[in-house]
Amino acid sequence: MAESTVIPEDLKPLAPPAELRRAPVVENNRRLGALTDQLSQFAEGKIPRWWWILFIPAAFCATVLLPVALVYQVSAGVGVWGNNHPVMWGLDIVSFIWWVGVAHAGTLISALLFLTRQHWRTTIGRAAEAMTVFSVMMAGLYPAIHVGRAWFDWFMFPIPNSNGLWPQFRSPLMWDVFAVNTYLVVSMLFWFMGMIPDLAVLRDRATTRPRKFILSLAAMGWTGSARHWHHYEKAYVVLCGLCTLLVFTVSSIVGLDFCTSQLAGWHATIFPLYFVIGAVFCGFGMILVILIPLRKWLRLENVITLSHMDKVAKLALVSGLIIAYIYSMEFFIAWYSNDPYERWVFGHRLFGHTYWFLGWILIGVNVGVTQLLWFKKIRANMKALFVIGLLINLGMFTERFVIVVGSLYQDFLPANWGVYLPTRWDVALYAGSLGAFFMLYLLFIKFLPFIAISEVKGATPQGNPHHPLGGAKGGRS
Amino acid sequence: MGSHNEKSHLPPPLDLSRWSRLPAVLMIAGGVAALVGAGVSPKEFGLSWLLSFLFYLSLALGALFLVMVHHLTDAGWSVGIRRFCEHLASLLFPWLALLFVPVLLLAPQIYHWLTLPPTDELIRARWPVFTRAGFAVVSGLFFAVWWLLSSRLRYWSLRQDVTGDALCTHRMRFHSGWGIVAYAATLTGASVLWMQSVQYQFFSAIYGVYFFSGCAWIALATVYVIAVLLQRQRILAGLLKENYFYFIGVLFFAFTIFSAYNEFAQYFVVWNANMPEETFWYLIRENRSWWCLSLILIFGKFFLPFFVMLPVKVKTSLKVMVPVCLWAWLMQFADLAYNVLPAMPQYHFPLASLWIPFACLAFMGGFLSWVFLRQFRSHPPYPQKDPRLLEAMGISLPEEENPPATAPIHGGRS
Amino acid sequence: MSKKPYGILAEFETPAALLSAAEKVRDAGYSRWDVFTPFPIHGMDRVMGLKNSLVGWVSLMMGAGAFVSVVGLIWFANAFDYPLLVGGKPMFSVPMTFVPAYIMMIMGAAVGALIGMFAFNELPRFHHPLFAGRRFELVSRDRFVLLIGSTDPKFSPTATRQLLESLGGAHIETIED
Repeated sequence: MAESTVIPEDLKPLAPPAELRRAPVVENNRRLGALTDQLSQFAEGKIPRWWWILFIPAAFCATVLLPVALVYQVSAGVGVWGNNHPVMWGLDIVSFIWWVGVAHAGTLISALLFLTRQHWRTTIGRAAEAMTVFSVMMAGLYPAIHVGRAWFDWFMFPIPNSNGLWPQFRSPLMWDVFAVNTYLVVSMLFWFMGMIPDLAVLRDRATTRPRKFILSLAAMGWTGSARHWHHYEKAYVVLCGLCTLLVFTVSSIVGLDFCTSQLAGWHATIFPLYFVIGAVFCGFGMILVILIPLRKWLRLENVITLSHMDKVAKLALVSGLIIAYIYSMEFFIAWYSNDPYERWVFGHRLFGHTYWFLGWILIGVNVGVTQLLWFKKIRANMKALFVIGLLINLGMFTERFVIVVGSLYQDFLPANWGVYLPTRWDVALYAGSLGAFFMLYLLFIKFLPFIAISEVKGATPQGNPHHPLGGAKGGRS
Repeated sequence: MGSHNEKSHLPPPLDLSRWSRLPAVLMIAGGVAALVGAGVSPKEFGLSWLLSFLFYLSLALGALFLVMVHHLTDAGWSVGIRRFCEHLASLLFPWLALLFVPVLLLAPQIYHWLTLPPTDELIRARWPVFTRAGFAVVSGLFFAVWWLLSSRLRYWSLRQDVTGDALCTHRMRFHSGWGIVAYAATLTGASVLWMQSVQYQFFSAIYGVYFFSGCAWIALATVYVIAVLLQRQRILAGLLKENYFYFIGVLFFAFTIFSAYNEFAQYFVVWNANMPEETFWYLIRENRSWWCLSLILIFGKFFLPFFVMLPVKVKTSLKVMVPVCLWAWLMQFADLAYNVLPAMPQYHFPLASLWIPFACLAFMGGFLSWVFLRQFRSHPPYPQKDPRLLEAMGISLPEEENPPATAPIHGGRS
Repeated sequence: MSKKPYGILAEFETPAALLSAAEKVRDAGYSRWDVFTPFPIHGMDRVMGLKNSLVGWVSLMMGAGAFVSVVGLIWFANAFDYPLLVGGKPMFSVPMTFVPAYIMMIMGAAVGALIGMFAFNELPRFHHPLFAGRRFELVSRDRFVLLIGSTDPKFSPTATRQLLESLGGAHIETIED
């Protein structure tokens, strides 16, 4: 955007004081070649020990625990979970919403920040997109088995068949099928398309023949021609716009699963937005948890800088504040509407029995702890941010539990009340999906370009043809 | 971007002196017509006055939001439009508060619940806000917050014009920080208490967000038009480059979608759950002539601007965008009317007495634009010494002057 | 293998050098030339005179097609082929179809954007004459390369090479088809 870089003499006094200078996208001001070396060296180098230490337990969860939990649940039926009347939606749906949520921040960072021309997003965009892809995969797992007879899952798709069966399109649960599948496909397309130029980087650097062959296939024959970039950039903008819409749509549809019902605590017009923001908030927590160790272990402190982490923390704060607003709107509407059931449900969120403490965890973490992010010192302290990121994830998991179970366990008829407790199979499934997520993520950082190499280079002054470091002669261009 | 030959593209400076009497004319004509309306039908006048008040309130609140977001996001590009946004936001107090006095006086005409006995169940449940005193006190609170916010933000901004101090930027950020929280609370409260409660039985959790999206939407449309005028008058020509219009246009486009999203969410959730305590609100609006207004809003407030602004390049095309922005004013007014006017006893769109809201609109518009122009003229047109001013002009700092790196160097060959 | 030249490559150190060289190549009257860069160069589209990409339109068409098809499908499935009354809702109504049709519109538009990008770029292709270039692999790293194609009417093995030399291009290389 910057058209000129030399400040005319008369405007010199207007230069910002040191404390208000912009932080550079990439620190240390290295040449493009050195930057390429740095950004691709992890995918090419030896596997470090910390990777194995994380990978082995994750792979155990993914390849042993998860299949066992799935096979047992599918063969024995959903009865192995704690779900029972009146709480028919338990930890499976809670985890589903949580995973969809984790996915959202990735899309938002990557797509929305691109549309708003935030150059710093280039450094963390890819990491965030991968988080999206893998967590949507995990999310999709839950509804598929929650139906009970997983072998009838194809009923949910409009496949012409001899029984004349069609999906029932008036049900929000059907929309979920389309929403989650679309989200999976589109986020994978977006992720893959963004990776093509970087796969070409790795291809061109490959030293062994098999590596060269595989990467050549993956890079689709990318040459870096200006004409290619031209269409590529257009497609990228379009995909970013679509992904931004998706962020709002997918979680809204998940929210519609709840709010189109008449159940107290679920039926609120703000629910679609609530789920969107909750998703994004939770995802920012996950981004913090993933990026803070990785930037250290992958030695990317000059690329994923403190200033970028500061911005992610601010985004988490913003979404946390909106969440706090929505919580207060829920309580306000319960009061304002004078609906006895609403008042009952929201009173019991904090002062009821069985689950009251979850309500306080929810408020304490999502509203309380988040306020720490107002302070610059906390945002600059990576350990604190990591802990806050973990707490946000815990808080948002609790929130979904409170929404799902908190409204179901006491409905309109006291005779219908009951209590829900997850069983070990609920927990095993969740642990298995966590393991699968981290396994996929570790494989991704090791074998694929974890940082958008081309985009980062394009965002440096060395890549700007109007900047002296990019070779510009100076003066107003 | 076309900054190279932008200068030559600019048509000759715009001369607006012919229009200088417009605010006074609007004020007098609108004021007289509004008075006649007040005589003819006090109730309709009350609702019309409220409607026009809400229209300008949404504009001023939207401008306040833009100012705060500028500080909170440490934005660079929006320095040029900030000053007149501050003036727009400063209309909140005392000028809009002044215009609120008739609403307060006519409250029993406008708000049916004020005439209900205090034994009414819903009124009792909403005690103490839903009393005459509660209404006045809470309304006063809203204006107090807005006054504090808009005046502090403008005070430090004007002070920076003199001192150029970084402290001013920090103060403005501080005020925006607590301000955005207070803003969300007061805006929601105002939308519920002043607008939603004309049909007091209705409740909707997204109502505040919905009103807010309209505020930001209409403020962006207004900012676009004012920016075009200032550029054509050569007042901000050096500062307002093409990317300004692109950014405002994109935000305007985004809020077109966001406000449609909110309206759709509210409608859809109510439609699908089909609960009588909510659906009555939409049943009124789905029948008789209100149905036409619903359709006008669906197509005029969303589909038309959406498809017109969909191509990227349109956002910088003033010939397309200025009419869209003017259309947005009409649509925002129609949208507020959709919320307020069905509270009238006759259950159809008051086409015959439509002149009353427009008279109020003209009067307030004239009055507020007169105030705005006076304030704009008595202060520098843009923040003179803002630390982001150079960036807004498209001049970036040479890399050597950037602060030293804090991160260690790893890997690679330098 | 034929020994017909594909074009001549010249390498530049910085994006600015490439941009000014590209301007001069264009001013010299060449029409079939291209640049290869590690990332898109701001302002290159204008120098090359590239029109607005049609990818957006492909995406829009695919999205619109998906939207209409899903509305049709829902009408066919729930209102025509097997009407079933559920929850007292109408068999077919606009609010009901909107959400699934909309989400599938996004799917269609996204697939359209990717297909459009690949189609206009003639990708995937796994062989390209330029991959034979000795230093072409450096393009994805930090080199900025300009190619003048042999199909250009003004192309001449010697004059074109001299032009590129005069523009300051390094490692000038003739690529064979």
